[in-house]
Amino acid sequence: MQRGLDVRRVALTAALLVLAALWLAPIVWVLVTSLKVTADIVRVPPEWIPWPATTAHYREVLFSSSRTARIGRAFLNSVVVGVGTTVLVLITSAMAAYPLARMRFPGRGLVFTVLVGSLMIPNAVVLVPQYVLVQQLGWLSTFQGLIVPEAATTFAFGVFLLRQFFLGMPGELEDAARIDGANAWQVFWRVVLPLSQPVLAALGIFAFRSAWNDFLWPLIAVNKPEMFPLPVALALLRSAYSSESYGPIMAGAALSAVPLLVVFLVANRRIVEGVRLSGLKG
Amino acid sequence: MRQTRTAYLFLAPGLALFVVFRVYPLLEGLRLSFTNARLGRAAVRYVGIANYTRLLEDTRFHVSLANTAFYTVASTLPVLVIPLVLALALNRGALRTVLRSVFFFPFTLSVVTVGLTWLWLLDPVVGPFNYYLRTAGLPARSWLADPATAMWAIIATTVWWVTGYYLVIYLAGLQDIPRALYEAAALDGASGWRSFRSITLPLLRPVLLFVVVTHIIGSFQLFGQVFVLTGGGPGDATRTVVQHLYEAAFQNFFQFGAASAMAWALFAVILLFSIFQFRLLRGHTEY
Repeated sequence: MQRGLDVRRVALTAALLVLAALWLAPIVWVLVTSLKVTADIVRVPPEWIPWPATTAHYREVLFSSSRTARIGRAFLNSVVVGVGTTVLVLITSAMAAYPLARMRFPGRGLVFTVLVGSLMIPNAVVLVPQYVLVQQLGWLSTFQGLIVPEAATTFAFGVFLLRQFFLGMPGELEDAARIDGANAWQVFWRVVLPLSQPVLAALGIFAFRSAWNDFLWPLIAVNKPEMFPLPVALALLRSAYSSESYGPIMAGAALSAVPLLVVFLVANRRIVEGVRLSGLKG
Repeated sequence: MRQTRTAYLFLAPGLALFVVFRVYPLLEGLRLSFTNARLGRAAVRYVGIANYTRLLEDTRFHVSLANTAFYTVASTLPVLVIPLVLALALNRGALRTVLRSVFFFPFTLSVVTVGLTWLWLLDPVVGPFNYYLRTAGLPARSWLADPATAMWAIIATTVWWVTGYYLVIYLAGLQDIPRALYEAAALDGASGWRSFRSITLPLLRPVLLFVVVTHIIGSFQLFGQVFVLTGGGPGDATRTVVQHLYEAAFQNFFQFGAASAMAWALFAVILLFSIFQFRLLRGHTEY
């Protein structure tokens, strides 16, 4: 009986390992392709070892020729937008969530209900008026035109997440600080925020990921090639190349995965925690 | 009184952001949907419900809506079930953390990167997918160029992309179920299947509801995968509502009024679906 269970367990683990390998295969294939010399890329049967290997495709999308030089620049644009959005979301959400969790004031219930209700609004619904607004502000093809609407999209979720966390925090430290004469802002800044680092990290990663990966908004809000963020530049890279030249396209795709891969390896637990918490809103 | 002032000072920056870039666009979109607004048109007039009645005659909109609905319905079951099965398999087993990371990884990629990856995998001539199918004696196809398979290819791509996200959510849900319940059931001689049906499934109901609603709201906005993989083709076989809206507003004639009507029609459909799902899955969440 015990033995039978063990065999089943081993078989299950083996099956999961095979499935996991298959799950990663597309990503491996992208990497392998990006490192192959052009002639080897279209060779059938598929070769899974890029030999002889080359970094030519990476150099091409990062540095050379006008039509593809955009990837290097797009990478920097995406970093600016991702970091800017993250900072703006963290500041506005934390400041808004704090009174919603800790203070009594008229309108508190209404504000919170409206924010949570707005989580159901599909982004596509506000696309056109948001474009009109950003255009009237003169923000098309600017960093603020990408960052501010992106932050507004994530803000309500951030408030929900942080309020939940603040509610679960014991209030004694805040009371002690208040007795020592700290005002509300000092309590928030010196006591509450330092204690909230894990949830702030989770929200920060969530905000960065949304901004880094968003496609539809930058597709319409940017019309100068030098301001394209990565997803837009990559999508257009595809149409700039004929299908035989997958090398540079795959190099661009691989590069686009790097920042979140790094975050993911460094802060795996935070990401999982963030996703777990995001699931709680249901 | 002082606390009220302090509270609103804390709320001010976020609420300003939220009202200007979220609430105002939502209502402004509703207003635009009753006008003949276009990019650069100075004299915008109210046209009543003309934009909505025109949608009733717009056959391409109907095709887009039907495609989007098909995608939503066809993808819901795999998105609901595959991560759940994986979560159940991973929950007690070895290597949980590593495997969870592996399945989660695609979710960190942008929709464009995911699209490009599958475009290359499914390449009809030199893509590895067709090569291995042929090797296994199965028929190779131009998956993305065939109207019968294009939407399924997009569904497969999406399942690969989002499975890890829902897997993590399911795993968290499973962890929250008290072990003691399973032990008690085992003592009573319940089979694995029986305790899955009587314990796991009912206690996972809120999580299932979250997954379905999240997925459906996302599905109705399908755009990026289609943009990269098929451009809406072949023909209009994978054209979606958001693509139709995007083209009406930003590609052809910049018809902001008409596009806003589409946006609100889409919003109405999503709301109806969500309410229906809530009703359907709510039932007995209390245990």
